Parts: sequence; C-alpha cells; structure tokens
Amino acid sequence: MRTEASLLRGGIPEGLIEPPLTEGVVTPGSLDDQVLAFPDSRPPRQWYIGLAITMTAMLIGFGFIGYTIATGIGVWGNTSPVFWAFDIINFVFWVGIGHAGTLISAILFLFRKRWRNAIARFAEAMTIFAVMCAGIFPLIHVGRPWLAFWLFPYPNQRAVWTNFRSPLLWDVFAVSTYFSVSLMFWFLGLVPDIASMRDRTTSKVRKVIYSVLSMGWRGAASHWQHYEKAYLLLAGLATGLVLSVHSVVSFDFATSVVPGWHMTIFPPYFVAGAIFAGFSMVVIVLVVVRETMQLKNLITMRHLDVMNKVILGMACLMGYSYMMEGFTAWYSMNPYLHHAFMNIITGVYGWAGWLTISCNILIPQLLWFKKCRTSYFWMILVAVGVTVGMWFERFVIIVISLHQDYLPSSWRIYKPTLVDFGVLLGSFGLFFTLVLIFARVLPVIATTEVKAILPGAQPSHHGDDHE
Amino acid sequence: MSSGKSFAVLGLFDSADALVTAIPKVREKQLGGLEAYTPYPIHGIDEALGLRRSPLGGMVLVMGVLGAITALGFQYWISAIDYPIVTGGKAPWSWEAFVPIMFEVTVLFATFTAGLGMLLLLNKLPFFGHPVLSSESIKAITRDRFALAIEAEGEGFDAAAAQAALAAASATGIEVLPEPDRGPFLTSDYILRVAGGIFTACVVAGLLMYAAVKLFPVLPPMSHMEDQPRLNAQKADSFFKDGFGMRMPVPGTVARGYLPIGVSSQEEAASLVNPLPRTPEVLAMGRKVFHNRCELCHGALADGVPTLTAAYGGKPANLQAQQFRDYPDGKIFWAITMGKNAMPSHAADLTVTQRWAVVHYVRALQRAQNAKDEDLNQAGAR
Repeated sequence: MRTEASLLRGGIPEGLIEPPLTEGVVTPGSLDDQVLAFPDSRPPRQWYIGLAITMTAMLIGFGFIGYTIATGIGVWGNTSPVFWAFDIINFVFWVGIGHAGTLISAILFLFRKRWRNAIARFAEAMTIFAVMCAGIFPLIHVGRPWLAFWLFPYPNQRAVWTNFRSPLLWDVFAVSTYFSVSLMFWFLGLVPDIASMRDRTTSKVRKVIYSVLSMGWRGAASHWQHYEKAYLLLAGLATGLVLSVHSVVSFDFATSVVPGWHMTIFPPYFVAGAIFAGFSMVVIVLVVVRETMQLKNLITMRHLDVMNKVILGMACLMGYSYMMEGFTAWYSMNPYLHHAFMNIITGVYGWAGWLTISCNILIPQLLWFKKCRTSYFWMILVAVGVTVGMWFERFVIIVISLHQDYLPSSWRIYKPTLVDFGVLLGSFGLFFTLVLIFARVLPVIATTEVKAILPGAQPSHHGDDHE
Repeated sequence: MSSGKSFAVLGLFDSADALVTAIPKVREKQLGGLEAYTPYPIHGIDEALGLRRSPLGGMVLVMGVLGAITALGFQYWISAIDYPIVTGGKAPWSWEAFVPIMFEVTVLFATFTAGLGMLLLLNKLPFFGHPVLSSESIKAITRDRFALAIEAEGEGFDAAAAQAALAAASATGIEVLPEPDRGPFLTSDYILRVAGGIFTACVVAGLLMYAAVKLFPVLPPMSHMEDQPRLNAQKADSFFKDGFGMRMPVPGTVARGYLPIGVSSQEEAASLVNPLPRTPEVLAMGRKVFHNRCELCHGALADGVPTLTAAYGGKPANLQAQQFRDYPDGKIFWAITMGKNAMPSHAADLTVTQRWAVVHYVRALQRAQNAKDEDLNQAGAR
C-alpha cells in the first residue's frame, strides 16, 4: 500500500530504488583523501615486489623481441602452412582484453549504469595498456619493424599506395583509431581529477606536472557544460568503435577462404569474445586492487557481482557462437568445413579445442550461483579460466584452421619455440608493469565521476521547469 | 590580493543545493557576468546561469561527415584513379571495401573534434593565467566546495557591491580576484597555431613528395627484389665457363613420364602393345593431343588434307591409307616418338601416356572413316 501511495506521488517503488554505490560514509572530501593520496605516498613493499616480477617478465620479453628482430622471425615456430601463430594469437588476445574498458566507459555510460563510474578509470587504463601490448605483435610480425610505416598511405619515393581492399590495412586503421580514441577518452576523464591532484599536492615538481596535464582546468560551469557534451559524444563514438574494432580484426580471418575462418558469424563472435575476455581481466585486476589499495568501500562486492553477471551472459553468447560454428559447418555441406570443425574437437589439437570449450563455456556456468559471484575464490577461478580459454580460442581458430589446409601434402604440426613463449610472457609483463605504475601515479578511480553520484551530490528539485 | 584592477568576486558554498539556490538571487542584481566553479558537473546549473547550449554536437557532426567524405574520396582516388590495382576480381572503383576505413576515419575526426574542440576551442584551455587557479578557494573548488563568481563585464565593475551581493546570498570565504595574466604563456591559441603550422607543413611536404615522385621518377621504386643475384633465362652469364645462363640437364636424366621406350627400330617397335585401355577418358586425352599437335599437318580426319600444308610445302602422310591402317600400334608410337621423314620427334613434348593415347585416337579416326556394316550392329547393340 505504501508503495502504491508513493507511486501516486510520483515516487519510485522501493524495489526499483538502486542500492547505494558506495559502502560506509563517503563524502567528496573523503573520496579525494582516499583516492588521490596514493600518488603522494610511498608505495608499500608488495608493490615493489610486484613491479620487480612484472618488469623481469617484461625485460625477458624485450630480450626475446630484440633477438627476433636481430635474427628474423624464423626463430618462431611459424612454418608453412602455419604462417600465423603466436604473434597473431597474442595480437587478437590483447586487442580483445582492451574491449572491456571501452564497454564499461562508453556503452554502460550511455545506458546510464552508474555503477560503472567507480571502475571506469581502471578499465579504460587497461584498454590502453592492452592495445599497446597488442600493437607490438603486428609490428614484430612484419619482420622489419623499421619499415612498418609503409603500412600507412603517404606519398612515397616507391610510388606505390597501400591496398585499401586488404583487411590487414583496415586493421591498421581500426587499431590505431581505437588507441587514439581510447587515449582521448581516458585523458578527458583524467583532466578534472588531475586538477584535484594539482590543488592538493605539496610538492612543487608534481604541481608543475599536474598543472600542465590538467591544462589549467578550473571547474567552471561553462566548461563543465561543454565537457559533459564532449563526454557524451565520445561515449557514443566509442560505442560504435568498440563494436567495429574486433569486427575488423575478425575480417582478417573471415574474408579469407581458409576453412574454419570463412564464416559470417565471425564479427559478432569476436566482439562477444573480446568483451568476455576483457571483463575477466578487469575482474582479476580489480580484486587485487580493491584488496591491496583498501578501496573496498568504493569498489564494492556489488560491482564484482554485476561484472560476473556480464561474464556469465557473455559465456552463454560464446556457447551459442561455438554451436553456431558447428551448425554452419554441418549445414554448409562443405567437406572442407566439416573437416575443419571436426579437427577442432577430434584432431591432433583436440585438447586445445576442449580446453577452450571447458574454460569459456562450462566453468563460467558457476556464476549462476550468487555464492560464486561474490566469492573471490570462484570468481578468480572463472576469470583466470576465461583468460586462458580465450587465449586458446584464438589458438584454435588460427593454428588449427591453418595447420591442415586444402592441400594435405602441406599439412604440418605447429610447434611454438621458446622465443614464442618468451614474447608472450613479455607482453604480460609489460601489461602488468603499466597497470602497477598507473595504480600509483594517477587516480585509480574517477573521483569526479564518483563525486557526482554520491548521495546529495546533485541539487534537489525546486519545482522548477525540470519536471 | 595583488595590485591592479579587480576582475571578479568569488564566494564559496557548502553544497550544490546552496549554490543553485543562491544563483537566482545574485543574478537578479545584474552586477556582472556570473560563473560557477564546481568540483563536478551540477545538473540544471546551465539554465540557472543562463548558459547557451553547447555547439559541440554540431561541430562533431560536421567534422564526422567531413571525415567520412575525406576517407571515401582518398581511398577512391588512390584505388581507382592514381594507383588502380585489381584485387579479388573487384572493379577498382567498387566502394564497398572502403567502408571500414571510412567508419574509422569518421570516428577519428569526430573524436578529435569532440575532445580537442571542447578543450582548445570552446573552453580555451590550456590557460594557466586565470585568477581562480591562484586563488585561495581553488583547493576547495576542485575538492568539495562550490563557488559562485561575479565577473567584470566592461569598465563599471563594482567589487564592493558584488561582495555584498554574495554575502547576502550567504556565501563564505568571499575573495576578490585580480585580472587574468594573459602573458605569452602556453595557451590554447599558441597550441592551435603550432598544430596548424605542423599540419600545413605535413600537407605541403606530402604534396611536394607526391609531385616529385610523379614528375621526376629518378629513384627506382622498390629496388630490393630486382637486385637479387640470379641467373636469367635466355641470358648470358659469366658464372659458367661456356657463358650460358641456361644449363642442359645432367646426362642420363629421365623426367617423370618420359621413360625411354627400349626398342631401337620401327620394326622392333611393332611388338609394343598399347598399355592404355580404350576408355572415353583416354580417347579424350588423345583427341586433345591430336588437336594440338597432329591436326595442323595430318588434318582433322588424319587424311593428310590440312590447311597449312600447301603454304608450308610439306606432304604429310595420309593416315587413312591402307598402309597405315595395317600398321601395328607400336609402329605409330615409334613414329610419334622418333619422328619420320619431315615430321620431328615429339618425345620431348608428349609423355609416354599421351603418345599412346594419340595412338588410340588415330585408330578411332581410321575406324570411323572406314566403317563396316558390322559396326552398325555394334552401335545398335549399345
């Protein structure tokens, strides 16, 4: 009855009222003191240990990359007919990881999902770092990275232009656009936060750095007006972009005639997989961040619960995609396609096929239970499983499809070399090194955005023309 | 408080509510321009301050459309006009493949317009000389307090009246701010000018480069591949003593399908038996070879009446003659392999299988031209 009465008064029914997005008492001031204090304080010992580990991995990877460039990509396991292997697997994997950040920052912003505000900054940062990791691989895959600028259409002494019909060129444009747009989005979000840091730091050097980075932001209402408009527009643009980037990546495969690649389901299938893998990585990192940086009141269990629900939804989409791949193979009546599909589940690399299916489809079903969605053990298990599974999914798509092509005489078993694993390790090292540095140097939570959704942050209505 | 004229008076409020309540009270006194400084965007403050709608949406739309047109035009001009290459059997001007890059460039143009247009053009940032930045209140503004400023519009700014108006609206920490410092600092104008200069320089350099390559093609394009050391067919080469680039095969080499026949005269060859069955496939192969190699001289019916021979002056054998109809298969095979009279050897051009297939086909031609009554029965039986 009370609910009905409040409905009559134009109120919101109790069941629909969103629970608070933060735990405990959080005020704009306490938020700044909590989040913006990190860059001004000394990192704890665990941070240095973590950085030592990730930087070691990174330097090992850089060593192997140097060795590859100096020797040639023959040091990898790639051999005819498997010309694409770890290099392209890692590229697709890392680009995919980046997609969660854009989804959280752009699509959930358009949907007015206010819980995104607390995790958007970290997810966006992970997008940028993941795309940086991804960029390494096509660069070293071309063999002569110092000539990689040939990929761009500029008037040159060779008097040749690039081929605009090649999906590989589309990739160059898609990934570089994606990186630029993500960086712009991230930077715009950072400007007011860095202005807050500028005004609270006591160090003169930091003050200069923050002043330059915040571009003299002073929080004027006329500036906020343009700022909010720009943010909304960027969210809309990034939404289209995030759907297009992995679609374009999938065109690298789908526009070819290799059995197992030539399928129309590839673009949506890749986008779903990218968001799936990206969310898992965000869950892994956020669990570590909220535990070690004492951010439990801002990144609440509810955030993790909701993200796990997204992971579950994406796992079901992936299951559908896998089944549709099988259906396409069967329905096509194409013996090559039949062979390519059966090769995934019964071939030499059948273990990789089943690992993919178990990690991506079966294990995430645990998330149907609220207990698993809110327990570190289970959510980390699922997230690590999905990360491994999604890496192997790309292995399945690329290596299994390639190693047995149309010509049985050229079939070959692909074996990665130590250098392949070294470069993969290096990319993880680079990613987590950047994440660790970011966590101590810039505000890990978009304080401005969280301030705006705290209770009482917005003026109550005065019966004006707003109704 | 620095010297010089006062530019604005600023007062602080504790909550967004207090700020929004105060704005109309101060605004109606019309002491100067109103500006609020807040730690985060406040809903409804645009209307309260009387701000005009942001023109950013229109700017982004225009630049996005421009990006799409640029990308389409650029790709079309390159792929269809300046450097047409046929890929995947598509016409050079087919535009469908240009869509992905068109989309990316549209997003790129629109994003940079939204981001940099907002910061540089509309908000005139970076600007480090604004008095609010060096005020006492800025620490509170970017943290959790809300400021309202009355700013001078022209000469007649009454700082005292502004202070009184803010105090009447129950603002605290009222401050009088000096003129902005518009020194030759790092400002948005400066950055825009530098960026514009760099962009123009890039465009000019690109066009010059393009014209130079088109008008003075002095530099061989992509010389890496043609510079590799190799032996060219039909060309002299100093690598071998005899100066030839092309080599004879090693003596005794036998190519696949070209086994020696193992007999030394046409009479001995009479004993050879055609190893191929008389199947439609074999006859088809024989017909193809006959058509390509034999018909020119021996005629389509193997009767020695072709079109070319008169001009050539030769007198090819009439294979329909009784002599050749009585030939065993092996002797015809020998003639193809070793050549006869003016006819050259075909051993280098035809595999053993092809030669035997032609033999079958010649037999078929002979039978067709000299059909007997029994053949009719056979045809009827089928």
